[in-house]
Amino acid sequence: MMLKDKMRQLGRRDFLRYSAAGAGALMAPGLVRPARAETAGLTMHTWSAAVDTVQSHLSAFTAETGIPVNYGNSPWAQYREGMVAKFVGGAPLDAMWVSDSWLPEWAEAGWIAPVDEFDSLMKYNAEAEDFCTQSMTYGGRQYGLTYYTDYMAFLYDEAKLKEAGFDAPPSSWDELVEQSRVMKEKGIAEYPMMLAMAQESWLIEFISTLVYSHGGRLVDDSGSAVMQDSKEGAVEALQWVVDAVDKHKIVSPACVETGELAGLKSFAAGNHAFAMVAKYRLRMLNDPAQSQIAGNVKQAMMPQGANGSHATVGWMRFHGMSTQAAQDKARAENTAKLIEWFGGKSDGAYTFQKLLFLDIGAGFGVKPLFEDPEIRAAYDSYGDVNMIQAQQALARKKDTITPWFGEWNDTNGSAWQSAILGNVDAAGAVKKSADLWNELKDSY
Amino acid sequence: MLFLAPVMAVLGAVAVFPIAYSLYISFFSIKLTRPNRTPFVGLKNYTDLLGDEAFWGAVWRTVSFSLVSVSAIAVIALLVSLLLNQEFRGRRILSTILLVPWAIPYVANALMWKWIYDSSYGALNGILYQLDFIDKYMVWLGDQDKTLFLIANAFVWKEVPLATILLLVSLKSIPADLYLAARVDGATVWQRFVHVTLPAMKPGFMLVMIYETMMAIRHFDLFFVLTEGGPGSASHVLSWHIYVETFRNLSFGSGAAMSYLLAIATFALSYLFIRTLGRKI
Repeated sequence: MMLKDKMRQLGRRDFLRYSAAGAGALMAPGLVRPARAETAGLTMHTWSAAVDTVQSHLSAFTAETGIPVNYGNSPWAQYREGMVAKFVGGAPLDAMWVSDSWLPEWAEAGWIAPVDEFDSLMKYNAEAEDFCTQSMTYGGRQYGLTYYTDYMAFLYDEAKLKEAGFDAPPSSWDELVEQSRVMKEKGIAEYPMMLAMAQESWLIEFISTLVYSHGGRLVDDSGSAVMQDSKEGAVEALQWVVDAVDKHKIVSPACVETGELAGLKSFAAGNHAFAMVAKYRLRMLNDPAQSQIAGNVKQAMMPQGANGSHATVGWMRFHGMSTQAAQDKARAENTAKLIEWFGGKSDGAYTFQKLLFLDIGAGFGVKPLFEDPEIRAAYDSYGDVNMIQAQQALARKKDTITPWFGEWNDTNGSAWQSAILGNVDAAGAVKKSADLWNELKDSY
Repeated sequence: MLFLAPVMAVLGAVAVFPIAYSLYISFFSIKLTRPNRTPFVGLKNYTDLLGDEAFWGAVWRTVSFSLVSVSAIAVIALLVSLLLNQEFRGRRILSTILLVPWAIPYVANALMWKWIYDSSYGALNGILYQLDFIDKYMVWLGDQDKTLFLIANAFVWKEVPLATILLLVSLKSIPADLYLAARVDGATVWQRFVHVTLPAMKPGFMLVMIYETMMAIRHFDLFFVLTEGGPGSASHVLSWHIYVETFRNLSFGSGAAMSYLLAIATFALSYLFIRTLGRKI
């Protein structure tokens, strides 16, 4: 019988009857079962990065352990909101990637569980960068193993530096101003320093770097704001940016609308001599297919403020375990195996971190990989591995990562932008940010 | 009634329930990141907002953006519709071209304007520089005095076609007899426009004003793509404020309260337009 004939025979009453039956079937308790009941094994969710590498490493895990893993991923831009919805909705989840920025929020909400009771995971701390371990620790408990790490680097265009008559890159922010002014006078670059201060997720990394290198911090160990204290570097750092834009005119006033990616492209197009960007961008900047200044981009230690150091900010992402997995002993042990397979060693080596580095240039958080000949060769093809390692040793975790970080971050970004735009002085902007910080801290 | 039941059930599930539930949660302090603490706070979410300086700043910027953009849309759409109401060679092609901005999705439109306004490689700077109007590339979206107007410009560009079509429909519905009678009475072009055309366009105008005001007040895409509320708080409008509160801060209670205030304001404005413009229709 033709489909058309069948449709003709389906009367209104049949349609209603079938609709009601279908709806009833969907709503009947017991028929709606969580996906987990239908699939044995673990569920892992990540953001959409290096998906093929993750999948192939998962296949190897299943082959090795016999534990199947349901793998899902979603774009970074919607990842946090999507994961929160999964947690609140009780979606099945065992392992996931976590940003250091979300750790306090997710831990306080009881969505992720500490993994420090698994000796098989804790043994890797001995070889991990300190700031990575610290970034995965909240309330004295450790919540995972490193997936990837990086830090804010200071890069310069060697050709422009030589053209301006300098032999070495600036080692302080004041020296950077001097070199930039010479470059402006010689017409080498209108805005020699590239700073991306747009309101986006990178902004806190730029701000933290400026503050750390000026010898300060935003928040003390007790979690109280110290940024408003003129001795703590934040006001000094913001004032440096304000002066760089308004007084010295070495940073474009468009910096408040320049995001990290736009700034990177501008630097790659040869518009600037200096840039503060994530270290992993060095590979792209020295790739002739992607950069007009390829071969000239070098890394130097982060310039320091008058009372500062070459410190920079580091960030990391890690493999975490859900609380629902932790509550079931067998599931927790399997999840720990999965986390070790990715964040620790598999087959006796840090295979996944190495794969990620070689595949997409993502930084690693374990020191022994710096001695790996393949990795050294890869780094040396576009950078100076010793410089990269030296700067990474001075990376510090973001001190603002708390459960209220997300609520404070937008206001803080707006406050810094307002000072750059000249609406408020640096001290006033930082005070506004500090006041909100303390208000939020009290409310939590 | 039995036959309506499935439709009513679907409508109840996808429209009535979410609306009622969002009103319900606006009386609670609900933060997704604090799932175990969701106390009933009554009207506190609403009263807190009314005393919040940032909220009123966002309201003021929303009003400014809406006033500028809706006024511009109304004037430009009126002029274009009058032009397209005339018979001339190429009118159909012009009408087709006019529809292009309307056909572009909002986010694509926003991305296009982001490129146009870019301070280092944007088309706007390129054109102005080549025409010698500027001697160096200008900062556009990063200039807080220009930001809101530039976003309004992108919004106007997108919205003018629909407004033009709505006004053109009103123009086409004016009986030719009225113009003939006015001519016989010796009315000038200007008098015919003021006494025949404009009164007959009132229903179309009302529709344009209500629709475009609602669109402008609630508009989000351009703010999201072009400036994310910045620089500083220069483009921090109400829709952006609601987005940040709800989806970044994950404060669903206060986010819902803001949304209701926005909805009430939109209804109030629509009512005002109907009362004033619609009175003599």
